[in-house]
Amino acid sequence: MTKPHAIIIGAGFTGVATAHDLAMRGFDVTVVERGPIANGTSGRTHGLLHSGGRYAVKDQESAIECIDENLILRKIVPSVIEPNGGLFVALSESDLDYAEEFIAGCEACHIPIEQLTPQRALKLEPNLNPKLLVAFTIPDGTFDPLRLAMSFAATAKKNGANFHLYHEVKSLLMDGKATVTGARLLDRTSNKEIDLHGDIVINATGAWAGEITAMAGADVPIKPTPGIMVAFERRTAQRAINRLCAPADGDIVLPQRRMMVVGTTSFAADNLDYIPIVEDQIKLMVERAADLLPGLRSVKLRGIYMASRPLIGGGTGRSIARTFKCFDHKETHNLDGFVTITGGKATTLRAMAEKTADTVCAKLGINAACQTKETPLISYRQFYSLN
Amino acid sequence: MVEKWNITVKFYRQKQGEKPHDQEIKMDVNPDENVIDLVERAWALHDRTLVFAHACHHSTCGACGMRVNEREKLACITPVRSVVANGGTLKVAPLRNFPVISDLVVDMGELYRRMDLVGHQPVDSDREEAIQPEFRPAGPAEPNEDFMRLSDCIECGLCMSACPVFSSTPDYLGPAVLAGAHQAGLEKNPLLFKLIDSATGVWRCHSAFECTAVCPSNVDPGWRIMELRRKVIGDRVKTLFNPRKPAEVGK
Amino acid sequence: MNTQSNFVVRAFRWFDPRGRSLSGWGFMIHRLTALGLTFYLFLHLIVLGQLAQGPDAYDNFLKSTESPLYKIGELSVVAAVFLHGLNGVRIVMTSFGIAVPRQREIFIGAMVIGLVAIVIFGIRMFIG
Ligand SMILES: Cc1cc2nc3c(=O)[nH]c(=O)nc-3n(C[C@H](O)[C@H](O)[C@H](O)COP(=O)(O)OP(=O)(O)OC[C@H]3O[C@@H](n4cnc5c(N)ncnc54)[C@H](O)[C@@H]3O)c2cc1C
Ligand code: SF4
Ligand code: FES
Repeated sequence: MTKPHAIIIGAGFTGVATAHDLAMRGFDVTVVERGPIANGTSGRTHGLLHSGGRYAVKDQESAIECIDENLILRKIVPSVIEPNGGLFVALSESDLDYAEEFIAGCEACHIPIEQLTPQRALKLEPNLNPKLLVAFTIPDGTFDPLRLAMSFAATAKKNGANFHLYHEVKSLLMDGKATVTGARLLDRTSNKEIDLHGDIVINATGAWAGEITAMAGADVPIKPTPGIMVAFERRTAQRAINRLCAPADGDIVLPQRRMMVVGTTSFAADNLDYIPIVEDQIKLMVERAADLLPGLRSVKLRGIYMASRPLIGGGTGRSIARTFKCFDHKETHNLDGFVTITGGKATTLRAMAEKTADTVCAKLGINAACQTKETPLISYRQFYSLN
Repeated sequence: MVEKWNITVKFYRQKQGEKPHDQEIKMDVNPDENVIDLVERAWALHDRTLVFAHACHHSTCGACGMRVNEREKLACITPVRSVVANGGTLKVAPLRNFPVISDLVVDMGELYRRMDLVGHQPVDSDREEAIQPEFRPAGPAEPNEDFMRLSDCIECGLCMSACPVFSSTPDYLGPAVLAGAHQAGLEKNPLLFKLIDSATGVWRCHSAFECTAVCPSNVDPGWRIMELRRKVIGDRVKTLFNPRKPAEVGK
Repeated sequence: MNTQSNFVVRAFRWFDPRGRSLSGWGFMIHRLTALGLTFYLFLHLIVLGQLAQGPDAYDNFLKSTESPLYKIGELSVVAAVFLHGLNGVRIVMTSFGIAVPRQREIFIGAMVIGLVAIVIFGIRMFIG
């Protein structure tokens, strides 16, 4: 039997992880991406390897996904992670009120935390706001976004996956009106068009998922929700610093290389391809970061950027759940050969891929188990050295 | 109030199998935005055929290296104000010394291969004190625990593009790679010693120090190459009086 | 990697003056003066060889050295020696890991001394 051919659109976290999973399950995989690896939202994340603490009160499904995947990623791809942990810090009375729910939530989601006195917290992170009231340790980490994606891509490539970077999907190839059979691509490096045929087309274009489904006359309930991120040119902590409060603007400041990065906000966007930077939000981010680490107030800014979350379904902004969803368009629109995977977080990329690959295997009647939980990834650098 | 400038951006354009040419686009800009924002906007709103690379937009991934007014820069941390005046022209072109894939994107595969060759560690214990002296250093949770940190070199290739020696001698390992060897530590690896103590290694450097001038990420490759030379000379003096046993060399 | 272009183009790539820093110019000056001085050495040997042909040749040669063109040539040799020599000291120092973080300032210092010396020499040659 020849291998089934899967076409994956988008080389963000979701796309590369799905490529890795399907390649391990014996698929012939082709990834199509209009830019470089991590061209979209994935490249521009905060870089927080979530412990789940941020969601432990309101969105426990996401929180449990996060802590499980956090522990797996630390094992399979340690070369792109700063595994130094994190703190949740209370600065006000209302933060203290939240502490009770937070402790209960973390316990329910089996996220290990430890309560610290202000003295002890300041010993660990002396540049914290000295007025802090209480703090909790939590197993957060920081990852390098591009290298995380490239590690998955490299491993997929080693297992036979093909990557067409700088190739944009212009339309979907259809057999009549009911089956998607491939995609028409524009090779942007030469301006030539190519037709690619496959047994299954997987739409992993995150916030852009609606543009691809529209090509087949279908839709998905994706709500692109951008946020801002500000990078400071000094590192003043070794751990991810979270404000102990319900998810809010600028509630996380984390170290990366020799920087601190604060984020984020949550609003609606018109044109996803270019999201302008809003000046007021920069000021807000600096203020919020300086609440937690006052020294940052006088540090120069190094980078400012926007990225768009692919959030699923009803509600607005922060109240939307952060979990992911795999849509089989046979079920939603009676369209065969076509699935969409979106939502979720960087931290849950492997789990999203597992779910998608399960769906695809079931559709094609293939019996192959997921092996990505235990398989260490190869060096991201090999994405370039493998041919 | 946000300032508004009007500038001309001159893009280097090249598709595979075609001759390169320059394309000028007039753009309204905010002098405080970074060059990558202009490039992305040019693609989103002016010309969809423009090919460029980027990911993190805050100098941690190394994908957005290009030449801005001929000089090697990370486009994501280069404010427009620092490279052009209102009404002026800004030129963006791909890095030198690497094959162009299209427009602003080059193939840096060789750099990545060589970084693996010398065993550069992408995550390392924080030996070089990321928290600078103006702030207080953090305390580890466990007494003997080291903080791990993503290493300074982001493999952006700016130094390889700016190095005049690498321009003429593609076999020269190059500044990022030698700096990578320095970070990996010669002490642990006699083979690494051989690799860098050679005509394509530290002795090929001719002290142009362009690498250090363009490095956006605190690596200072020029200094590291000189440190490696010191170590090599030190080792030669040592082995002169106390020759290595053949078994050690073969390892 | 940059093997696309042929050998001849590559051999001149090091002299790409676009987007250079001060120390990059230092490298180019160093290499150009080195090439110049090597060229001069050959010229010198050839001339010496001709002088060995007798007293007439010697006298003729001495006469030609009075032309301003020759003096300019001579001054360029002196200039090259100063620039190459002084910058050479800096390169030797940094090659042994000495004063690397200060190499730029040392370069500026060396060039200032070099230029002053060249001016003094020039004045003495043409006026004094
Ligand atoms: C501001 C912000 C901060 C975040 N911080 C964190 C964090 O700290 N930790 C965490 O775990 N998660 C974080 N997230 C969430 C996480 O980044 C996203 O969930 C994740 O990156 C989504 O990845 P994706 O692959 O689904 O989408 P994307 O990365 O957007 O990938 C989609 C890809 O599809 C490509 N594409 C689109 N159209 C086409 C076409 N027609 N043809 C070909 N290719 C196409 C795009 O170029 C893009 O590369 C953050 C999100 C935001 C917005
Ligand atoms: S040494 Fe500096 S310039 Fe060179 S690749 Fe590394 S970060 Fe870039
Ligand atoms: S985009 Fe990552 S370094 Fe500029």
